[in-house]
Amino acid sequence: MSVRRVGILLRRELFLGPKSFIFLWSVLLPIVLSLVLSLVFGTLFSDKPRLGITDQGDSKLVEMVQDSPSVTAREYGSVGDLEQAVRAGAVDFGIVLPEDFDSLVQQGQAVEITAYVWGESLAKHRVIAQVTLLDLVRGLSGREAPVEVTITTLGEEAGVPWSDRLLPLIVLMAVFIGGMFLPATSLVTEKQKRTLEALTVTPTTMLEVVLAKGILGFSVSLAMGLIILALNGAFGGEPGLLAMMLALGAIMAAELGLILGAFAKDMSSLFAVWKTGGILLFAPAFIYLFPEIPQWIGQIFPTYYLVEPVVRISQEGAGWPDIAIHVLVLIGLDVLLVGAVGLAMKKMKSAMA
Amino acid sequence: MAGDAIVAEELTYSYGELVAVDHISFKIAEGEILGFLGPNGAGKTTTVKMLTGQLKPKGGKAVVLGMDVASDAGKVRGEIGVCFEQTNLYEQMSALENLQLFARLFGVGDFDGKTLLKRVGLDGREKDKVEGYSKGMKQRLMVARSLVNRPRILFLDEPTAGLDPTSAEAICSIILEERARGATVFLTTHDMMEADKLSDRVAFMNGGKIVALDTPHNLKQQYGKRALKAKIQTPTGELLDREVVLDQPETPDLVHKLFAGERVVTIHSEEATLEDIFIKITGRGLKE
Repeated sequence: MSVRRVGILLRRELFLGPKSFIFLWSVLLPIVLSLVLSLVFGTLFSDKPRLGITDQGDSKLVEMVQDSPSVTAREYGSVGDLEQAVRAGAVDFGIVLPEDFDSLVQQGQAVEITAYVWGESLAKHRVIAQVTLLDLVRGLSGREAPVEVTITTLGEEAGVPWSDRLLPLIVLMAVFIGGMFLPATSLVTEKQKRTLEALTVTPTTMLEVVLAKGILGFSVSLAMGLIILALNGAFGGEPGLLAMMLALGAIMAAELGLILGAFAKDMSSLFAVWKTGGILLFAPAFIYLFPEIPQWIGQIFPTYYLVEPVVRISQEGAGWPDIAIHVLVLIGLDVLLVGAVGLAMKKMKSAMA
Repeated sequence: MAGDAIVAEELTYSYGELVAVDHISFKIAEGEILGFLGPNGAGKTTTVKMLTGQLKPKGGKAVVLGMDVASDAGKVRGEIGVCFEQTNLYEQMSALENLQLFARLFGVGDFDGKTLLKRVGLDGREKDKVEGYSKGMKQRLMVARSLVNRPRILFLDEPTAGLDPTSAEAICSIILEERARGATVFLTTHDMMEADKLSDRVAFMNGGKIVALDTPHNLKQQYGKRALKAKIQTPTGELLDREVVLDQPETPDLVHKLFAGERVVTIHSEEATLEDIFIKITGRGLKE
């Protein structure tokens, strides 16, 4: 295998790729969808959680929260006002500080804080608000304070907000549309136009052709995944881990694209397979959309092992120990698909003969 | 004496039950032009695919420039140029970009695409996208592409099919130039005139087998007949045809009698075409 020839072929793919409708479609669709949803749900320009406070005494914590760069703070005069603000979605998280809050925490006594959560607030906003609050209380008391937070969810939707539910679908679209379609359509076009045959009478091997197309799919898929997460402000606290998950997903997308391209005779059959088989790819995202569906069903589908860790890292602040099994399964699937790509290429070569 | 550029020994290929190429053996010397003739489905393309490393033979062996194609396909492909019957160019790229891409894949360092395009008559259009080219221009570009690595063996599959006489003539000239450079040419064609004009030897393929392989002259000698065709005028003014078969013991007498006893109006010699010979050998035409 020659890395030089893979580079030459990749350059040709990059030269012709952006001129195709498929390229524009696969790149623009997730971005446009993401921007529309961000505007609809108002998450594009509000990346900080909004924290409401009602102070029944004279706590220094109010000032500390207002000075905190992690949240946007608003003070309310009464518990009723705070409840109303949370219910209306004016703030994501509201807390009621008892009258003698500061002295109790400084003495190390147990304190109970009542907290209200807007049902439609983003999971990551809830997590950030809680972590910020506990950090500030620790700063106030000078030690780990025995604070117990009692949470009440308010608002119409006391479940997962739509913007959170839609994130898996957008991420899957970003990773799989470009990652699959670019190698698949490129391979089908080369078969239809017989340019693949022309390449195979040069020193170029089929492996080099496949690698070039796979690298293109992988790169576009990874880039799109990162862009979409950035647009949705969903990097969480582990951007490296998220990038690794997207890279593994991008490998899967490119591999599936190559297999699809190897078997599809023409563009019509490629899109026919996409229409029927696409549901299998996006099934885990659809299951996320409707929490009333038993969520374990998602585990049947390979893309679950990409979506679940991405959601958990970006929305719940999960780390490596929480997603290790998913990563291992995803790596296993990627390795299996390498074998499947090899078989598909053999089939394609004999079909070309 | 030139060595063998191509040696096929008992080369065999089958698609399932269908035997496309059936134990064929032949040799082609370096610098030779071999015309490879046969009707559709005779096994010509399958043979070319085995010789160019696109297909692995199911039996036998193909040795190209001293290398076994089955085990050294990559090296063999670096030394050959292939021009396909059907256009397979990157149509969204220009002619120059097409040639430069293939030159890079062959690892040709000092490639001069413009000169090559001038040679095939495409100068001035080198930066135009190929999708705007006529069939003849595309075919000339296909030939140019097969020459980017200055191949030692050139495989040409119907290079002039469907072309206007000027384009066809230009391609024939290039084939002869390549032979003069020392390249071996494996020319697959339906065009008997072209094969006769260009080939040092021709091979007839039928039903997966090579049924004849020799120079056009020898084949005509062996299978064809040469004749004199005359038109005579009778005393009543009627025009009649007369034929005298040449190369026979009685030919001189017959010619003498023709001129002595008849009023010859026109006379010309006629020899068998390769098509006639193919029909005679196989019982079928080349364009079936």
